[in-house]
Amino acid sequence: MSNTKLGLLVFWPTFWTGFPIKMVFALLLLAAHMHPWEGTGLYLLLLVSIPVDIWALGLCARTVFIDRLKVDPQPGLGLNLWIRWAAFSAVALPIITIVVSMVTETAKSVVASIVESIKENILTIPVAEQISLELVMWGSVASVALILCLIGWLYGLGWFAQPFVKNAKPVIGTTADQANFWDSLRIPADQPLLLTAFTGMGVVLVFIFWVLLPQTTPHPHEEYVYTFEKKEVVIVEPKKILKEAEQVLANAELVVIKLQDEKSGDAEASSETSGKASDLSPEAKQEK
Amino acid sequence: MWSIKPGLINKFGFCKSLGWNGERRMKEDSQSVNQQNAFEKVVEFVDERVGLKTIQAKMLNEPIPGGSRWAYAFGSVLLFIFIVQVVTGILLMFYYVPSTDHAYASTQYIIHEVDYGWFLLSYHFWGSSAMVVMVFAHMSQVFLWGAYKKPRELVWLVGLALFGIVMGFGFTGYLLPWDQRAYWATVVGVEIMDKTPLIGDFLARFLKGGPTPGQMTLSRFFVIHVMVLPAALAGLAGLHIFLFRKAGPAGPFRGTPEEIKAKTDYFFPRQIWKDIVAMATVFLIICSLAFIEPVVLLEQATPDPGDYHPEPEWYFLFLFQLLRLKIFGGEFGQFLGAMAIPGAFMAFLAALPFLDTNSERNIFKRPLALIGWTVVMVFILVFTVSAIINREFLD
Repeated sequence: MSNTKLGLLVFWPTFWTGFPIKMVFALLLLAAHMHPWEGTGLYLLLLVSIPVDIWALGLCARTVFIDRLKVDPQPGLGLNLWIRWAAFSAVALPIITIVVSMVTETAKSVVASIVESIKENILTIPVAEQISLELVMWGSVASVALILCLIGWLYGLGWFAQPFVKNAKPVIGTTADQANFWDSLRIPADQPLLLTAFTGMGVVLVFIFWVLLPQTTPHPHEEYVYTFEKKEVVIVEPKKILKEAEQVLANAELVVIKLQDEKSGDAEASSETSGKASDLSPEAKQEK
Repeated sequence: MWSIKPGLINKFGFCKSLGWNGERRMKEDSQSVNQQNAFEKVVEFVDERVGLKTIQAKMLNEPIPGGSRWAYAFGSVLLFIFIVQVVTGILLMFYYVPSTDHAYASTQYIIHEVDYGWFLLSYHFWGSSAMVVMVFAHMSQVFLWGAYKKPRELVWLVGLALFGIVMGFGFTGYLLPWDQRAYWATVVGVEIMDKTPLIGDFLARFLKGGPTPGQMTLSRFFVIHVMVLPAALAGLAGLHIFLFRKAGPAGPFRGTPEEIKAKTDYFFPRQIWKDIVAMATVFLIICSLAFIEPVVLLEQATPDPGDYHPEPEWYFLFLFQLLRLKIFGGEFGQFLGAMAIPGAFMAFLAALPFLDTNSERNIFKRPLALIGWTVVMVFILVFTVSAIINREFLD
């Protein structure tokens, strides 16, 4: 079996076997206001992932070895293979990320310049067409780069797994015996105990989730006014308002009368001292 | 890959419960009838009247040719998502008011003041997207496995109708929060529908209930979303499962009949276990999305879009972007892009089991089917991503 195929056959089920368990922890971290993709949350998730991955890798690799390669590996396959894969991936995956990012950025800029030159020299391209055209062009290059890198990575995983295949002992017996052998590996001896443990774990996890789950939204709308914050409704008392209005009108009337009196007084005075503007009162000045 | 062994069956202890050894079991039952506890007596009472154990045997004791597989879990996951959508939908209805005056305020109330309301609403929102993704996955699996071929043509046709209902759920539910996003997505959707020949105008007027979306639109969308579509989906899903059980699972597309027979497994326990794990995983993903990207409303709906660029829900984005192409400009172009091409594609899918009568199911020996599926998937992906880039360009 080729290295790439072996790497894929072991990696694919391992990923999916560990994924639901990691998702449980990721969700609990989210409920506890921690992001599983950064800071402490990421470290905690990675810490939990190590034993999960070792277990999943051991189970899935042994199944593939027995079922597809007809060999039974030495004990400790999960841990030994995980150490090699983890060390290799720690180097390979950042390199793949950098390579694919560089290829993508280069492809984007080259495609943009090609499209610009087409627009300037040959024909005009509407916005929607331009977006899809550019996406297909740089997307194809980036996808090819990504697929090639992933094939290389899977080849590496398979290459690290091959020594374990060589050191494994052949499984003897009929096909039915072989199937029964690896099949039995996956079935726990005590079924009720397994079901009870699973149910118990489920209940505990649901309880923890319920305790951690915020009761109200962690992302409140800025303009939303909560019911308990709403101002009390002002009770309208028509008689009181009318009385107050009448009082205001009465006061205003008095002021008007006073102003009229002052105006008439000022008019008399001004006739006596006509031309002497400096003698005018401030109110009269304002009126003027 | 999987093969069930007699010893294994006894380990799970379901031979007896399923009544496989009927006569011996009846004797054992008559001897132990006096030793039954209260629960067993209740089960016995119900079983005598409704045939509980026969139903249980029928449901669990279904042979799966070639053994259980993760690829067969999509249908069960869809049913699970639908049930949780019904539960969360009912809880949301306790607080939601389907009127233009209160829809927005009641949704804001659910988000801000109802205990865990924000989580319920966000779960319901992401659950609808998960349902669309699962429908695509389920249909792709059936297509690639060649499981639509004789004698499963009716299962495929009912499945297509269910696909339409799921899309209808997304379309009608999107309006209910009554914010700008909801309002304008509906305006765009109804405009697309309006382009259907003969019935388009009627459909658009029927859904809107007036010249512009308003109270009548909201009432109609609400009733369709919470009554018409759930009833239709429940009925058709039942029919889908009945037809599926009648025709039986198609099994893998590779392997000799002897190999497939040797590896044949039963629905219980292996496939049930895989289904449960798949359901739990999807549930965890939806919950995580509800945390990472909870529902946050825009401003209350108004007939003026303002700075907002109207666009439909993400699973209609590829169609929306297609209509932006110059080739689909003008009245005829819009009809072509919005109705004629998608309609022709759906008609082709409906006719597929009757057109493709070759009994070969191996996808690697059906190059046209494999290329066709890849082209459709790449097309949807490219135009969806293009729409997202276009949105950024407009912003």
